[in-house]
Amino acid sequence: MSDAPGALADGTRGEGKAVMAEGAVAVGSRPARRRPSRFGFRKPLPRGLELSIALGASLGLLLLWEAVARFGYVNTLFFPAPSDVAAAMVHMFRDQDLAWHAAVSTARVWSAFLIAAVMAIPMGILMSSYRVIGAASEPVIDFIRYLPVPALVPLAIIWFGVGEETKIFLLWLGTFFQLVLLVADDMRRVPQEYVEITQTLGASHYQILRDVAFRAMLPSLVDNLRVTLGWCWTYLIIAEIVAASSGIGFVIWAARRYMKTPEVMAGVVLIGIIGLASDQILRAVHRRMFRYL
Amino acid sequence: MTAPYLVFDGVTKHFGPIAVVDVPFDYRIEKNQFVVFLGPSGCGKTTLMRMIGGLDEPSGGEIRLEGAPVGPPDRRRGMVFQSYSSFPWLTVAENVAFGMKYRSDIGEEEKLARRDRYLDLVGLYEFSDAYPARVSGGMRQRIAIARTLAAGSDVLLMDEPFGALDAQRREGLQVQLRRIQKRDAKTIVFVTHDVEEAVFLADKVVVFTKRPARIAAEVDVAERLGADRTLELRESPEFFALRNELLHLLREAAGDDER
Ligand SMILES: Nc1ncnc2c1ncn2[C@@H]1O[C@H](COP(=O)(O)OP(=O)(O)OP(=O)(O)O)[C@@H](O)[C@H]1O
Ligand SMILES: [Mg+2]
Repeated sequence: MSDAPGALADGTRGEGKAVMAEGAVAVGSRPARRRPSRFGFRKPLPRGLELSIALGASLGLLLLWEAVARFGYVNTLFFPAPSDVAAAMVHMFRDQDLAWHAAVSTARVWSAFLIAAVMAIPMGILMSSYRVIGAASEPVIDFIRYLPVPALVPLAIIWFGVGEETKIFLLWLGTFFQLVLLVADDMRRVPQEYVEITQTLGASHYQILRDVAFRAMLPSLVDNLRVTLGWCWTYLIIAEIVAASSGIGFVIWAARRYMKTPEVMAGVVLIGIIGLASDQILRAVHRRMFRYL
Repeated sequence: MTAPYLVFDGVTKHFGPIAVVDVPFDYRIEKNQFVVFLGPSGCGKTTLMRMIGGLDEPSGGEIRLEGAPVGPPDRRRGMVFQSYSSFPWLTVAENVAFGMKYRSDIGEEEKLARRDRYLDLVGLYEFSDAYPARVSGGMRQRIAIARTLAAGSDVLLMDEPFGALDAQRREGLQVQLRRIQKRDAKTIVFVTHDVEEAVFLADKVVVFTKRPARIAAEVDVAERLGADRTLELRESPEFFALRNELLHLLREAAGDDER
């Protein structure tokens, strides 16, 4: 019963796709159907059920944590209850300009990410389109990719001082080299047949790249950008504990000095929330852009 | 006799140690002929087609089109691939129109008209706005056929293009293809495993041995059945005689393990 509205809602979302709408109607109008198992192997769950399971599990974990802290099973100095963390966050928004710090961090992450993307996309495409470029650049990139970002902090400070550049550079460092290889791989996976079809229609190299190869790789490219943006957030703390006076990383680091564990956790949780939100937004963009999949 | 149009001159091909065509392959195809390659699976038919299309280079010898060695792929040689592909991000109609995307010699209006004509020909008009992921495998194959026909190449290289179609659609498209080929004066090289399809479509059938590819026999179908191919012809005794003959040749060509 509860899944019928979900099925219909799904059908109407694929607007204009007669095939899907028909499928939904057929499912809805079939009278007595055996209740599908919740553990159907690789079977979808009704949307409503899936959402409630997801929310329920997260909420359950929070409650468990709260209970463990309240009943004194752990030292709250080190492991404060979620309610204390929430209270700390509210307090930080009100009195410590947490929103501004979050905005600063978001701006850093996005500028580093955009710079990395703008450089990595053409580079990756060229690397797998022309073996000469690939052969020349792959060893270097592969090597740098494995350098730990924290280890390069001193070098970054020597090069760029302690200003904005250092932070952007460190974030960029963590994403660019990974992204180049991911883009190159996406391009490599474009079926050779697509390229050959286009060749036999009289297209130039550039036209093949623009009209076919790039379009073919676009869905996985957007997916990889989404994943890389996530990594950017994970490097944020490293970048912001280096002589920063703003950003969520700075707030966390400052709170740590006074053992304000709830505030430290509040900062960490906020990063998680922002990360989750941007991830969901990019997922929605992906669904919208690639309805044809 | 007309001058040879497409010429294989001592062509060989090997991929590393594997010889796909080891005895120099010589063959001539006349202009506006419909030639069908028939042979056991894996004998090298696709490889020969790809070399005509310029997607693979011969290891030895050369292939000439109108006297000049064929170079990299271009619009003169259109291909329908064995694993028919369409671009998933384009609708059915856009996929067909893509065949003419790089032609500046015909105007937009003419392109639209051609697109619709070929969509209709393969029976996909009402699916114009659907995405390939939402249509059946056979329909996707028809998209590829319509795209290649719309592109209007002089030489059509078709590698088992009707493989995934039901018998009726197949017959319909065979008749249409034959008609288009004669009307628009195309040279077609067509690969199939279906002997009846070969007899129905071909001016000439080339039977291959198993790998490495060698010509086992060449049958001049045009001479025996004439140029006009109708569905009635399929029921005639001449048609059956020719079919049986080819089946026999094919069985012999396939070699010992098939006997
Ligand atoms: N790129 C390649 N590298 C190595 N071997 C190849 C390559 N392409 C084809 N071959 C080999 O060449 C032989 C002929 O292949 P081809 O695809 O031309 O056969 P075919 O006659 O088209 O077969 P089918 O009727 O099954 O499509 C096969 O044995 C195959 O293994
Ligand atoms: Mg083949």
